[in-house]
Amino acid sequence: MAEGIRARALTKRYPKSKTGPPALAGVDLEIPPGRVFGLIGRNGAGKTTFVRICATQLTPTSGELTVLGLDAVREASEVRTRIACVPQESRPLYFVTSRQLVDLYLRMRGADRTAAALRAKEVLKELELTEVADKLVSHLSGGMRRRVMVAMVLASDAEVLFLDEPTTGLDPVARRDVWSAIRRVARDNRTVVLTTHYLDEAEALSHELALLEGGRVVLEGRPADLRGRVRQPWRVTVPTEFPLEELRSYGTPSPVEGGYLVFATEPAARELAMAALQRGMRISLGPVSLEDLFLQTVGKPLTGPEEPLESEAS
Amino acid sequence: MTERRRLRSLVTLAYLNGVLPIKTQPLYLLNLIASPLSFLFFIDIASHGVLLLYGISGGMVLTVLTIGSSLQTDMSHYRQDLKWQDVVVASPVEATTYVAGMALSELLYSLPGMGVFVALWIFAGGGTLLGAVSVAIVLLCVWAFASALGFTLATYFEDVRETWVFAPFISLGLTVLPPVYYPITSLPASVRPFAYLSPTTYAADLLHNAIGIQPLGFDALLLNWGVLLGFTAALLLLAGLKARWRDP
Ligand SMILES: Nc1ncnc2c1ncn2[C@@H]1O[C@H](COP(=O)(O)OP(=O)(O)O)[C@@H](O)[C@H]1O
Ligand SMILES: [Mg+2]
Repeated sequence: MAEGIRARALTKRYPKSKTGPPALAGVDLEIPPGRVFGLIGRNGAGKTTFVRICATQLTPTSGELTVLGLDAVREASEVRTRIACVPQESRPLYFVTSRQLVDLYLRMRGADRTAAALRAKEVLKELELTEVADKLVSHLSGGMRRRVMVAMVLASDAEVLFLDEPTTGLDPVARRDVWSAIRRVARDNRTVVLTTHYLDEAEALSHELALLEGGRVVLEGRPADLRGRVRQPWRVTVPTEFPLEELRSYGTPSPVEGGYLVFATEPAARELAMAALQRGMRISLGPVSLEDLFLQTVGKPLTGPEEPLESEAS
Repeated sequence: MTERRRLRSLVTLAYLNGVLPIKTQPLYLLNLIASPLSFLFFIDIASHGVLLLYGISGGMVLTVLTIGSSLQTDMSHYRQDLKWQDVVVASPVEATTYVAGMALSELLYSLPGMGVFVALWIFAGGGTLLGAVSVAIVLLCVWAFASALGFTLATYFEDVRETWVFAPFISLGLTVLPPVYYPITSLPASVRPFAYLSPTTYAADLLHNAIGIQPLGFDALLLNWGVLLGFTAALLLLAGLKARWRDP
C-alpha cells in the first residue's frame, strides 16, 4: 500500500519565539497518497510551518511525521529523493529561461542531459508555456513565473509535491492559469500538498482538505462532506440597523461590510428574513459557502480583518 | 544518489551559477578582479616595484578568498530572496553537492583574475614547478575554507543585507590587515604574533616561500602547512556540523 503523509502530535516552536503559542500545537493529520490535499487557514495558522517540516526544510520540536512511510527527520535523505517543493514566496532564478530552469532543475536532481531536455519540453508544452520557453524568467509576469515553478517540480519524478501558496498575490486570471497547471499535476496520481488561504481554490483543486487554525487542525474532510456538517446551513445578511440583540436570537451574527452576516438553521433564517423585510430592510439569503463554514468553525473570516469578532455569549 | 548522479548534479550547479549569469551579465567577471588588482597596483606603485611579487601573491589570496564572500552573498540571496535553497533541500541534492557546485561556480568567476596574476608572475620571472604546485595547493585550501565559511554564515543570516556588511569585513580582515600583500617583516616585532591569528598569514607565508621571495626553513614550512591544512579541515568540519541545511 502506498503511503502519503502522516503526522502525530506534531509540534513546532521556533527557537526565537520562546513565549506565546507555538506555531504548530499538536497536528494530527493523515494525507492520503495520490491526491491533491488542500491545507487552508488564515495567515499565521501554521501552513508553511507544517509544509516546511514535511519537506524536510525545518526541524519539528516534537511529535511524529512520516512522508511516504519514512521518518521525515531520521530518514530525511531518503525522503528528499522522492519529493519536490515550490516554497512560499519562492521565485525562479531570473537569469535563465523557463526551459533552462526546468531542464537544469531536472539535471540537478540527477537526470541525464537528453532525458532532462525531453521532459522539459514535454512539460512546458503541457502547461502551455512553449511560447515563453526561451524567454528569460526575469521578463515574465508573476503568474507566468509561478507556472514555471510548478512546471519545474511537475517535471521531476517526485512522488510528493509541496506547493505553498502558489497563487497568492496573483490576479484572478493568473490564478486560474496556475490552477490549470495544478490540475494537470493532479492527473498523475501524485500526492500534492497545496496550501492556500483562498477557499475557492482549495475547493476547486483538492480532493480533501484540512483547516488549520492556531497550529491545530480544526476541520478535515472532503469539501462536500464538510458542508454537510454545518449546524447552521443558512446565511442571511442584514443591514447594521437591525438590532444586534434580536439578531442573536436567530443565529450567530458577525459584522461584515455594511451589515451583519447571520448563520442560522433553516426555520430561523426564514423568520429572520421575514423580520427584516417587515422593517423594510434589504437582505440576502442563501446556503453557506465553505468560506462561511470556516467562519463558523474559527469565529474569524479566512481573509480580511484579523481581529476576532465581538465576543459571543455562549 | 549514485556517484554519477551526484557528479551531474554538481556540474549542473556550477554551470547554473557560474556560467549562465556571466552569459547574461559579463560584467560580473570584473567583480572578483577589481579589488585584488587595485591593491596590486597600489602596492606596486607605492613600493616602486619592490613589492610586486608580494602584490601578486596577495592578489591571488584575495581573489580566492573573495570567492568565499561572494559565495556567501549568492547563497544568502538564493536562500532568502528566491527561497531556492528550500527548493534544493527538498530534492535529492545533498548539502555537500550544493556547496561544492556553488563553490566551483565561484571559482569560475575568479579564473580571469587568476589568469592575470599568473601571467604577471611569469612575467616577473616565473617560478619552479614545485613552487607552482605549492601555490595551487595553498590556493585550493583557501578556496575550501573560504567556501565552507561562506556557506555556514549564509545559513545563519536572516537578512541579505547582513551579508553586505560581513562579506567585505571578512575578506579585508583576512587579507589587507594580515601580511598577505606585504612581508611580515614590515610589521613591528611586537605585533607579528597577532598576524598569526589569521589563517591567511600561513597561506601567505607558504606562497611567499613558493614564489621564492621569502624562503622558509623546514620547521616553519611544516608548521605553516600543518596550520593551513588543519584550519581548512576544521572549517570543513564546522560547515558539516553547524551549517543549517535544515532550519532549526
Ligand atoms: N522563522 C520564524 N520564526 C519565528 N516564528 C515564526 C517563523 N516563521 C513563522 N513563525 C510564526 O509561526 C506561526 C505560523 O506561521 P506560518 O507557518 O508561516 O503560517 P501560515 O503559512 O499559515 O501563514 C505564525 O505565528 C508565525 O508568526
Ligand atoms: Mg504560509
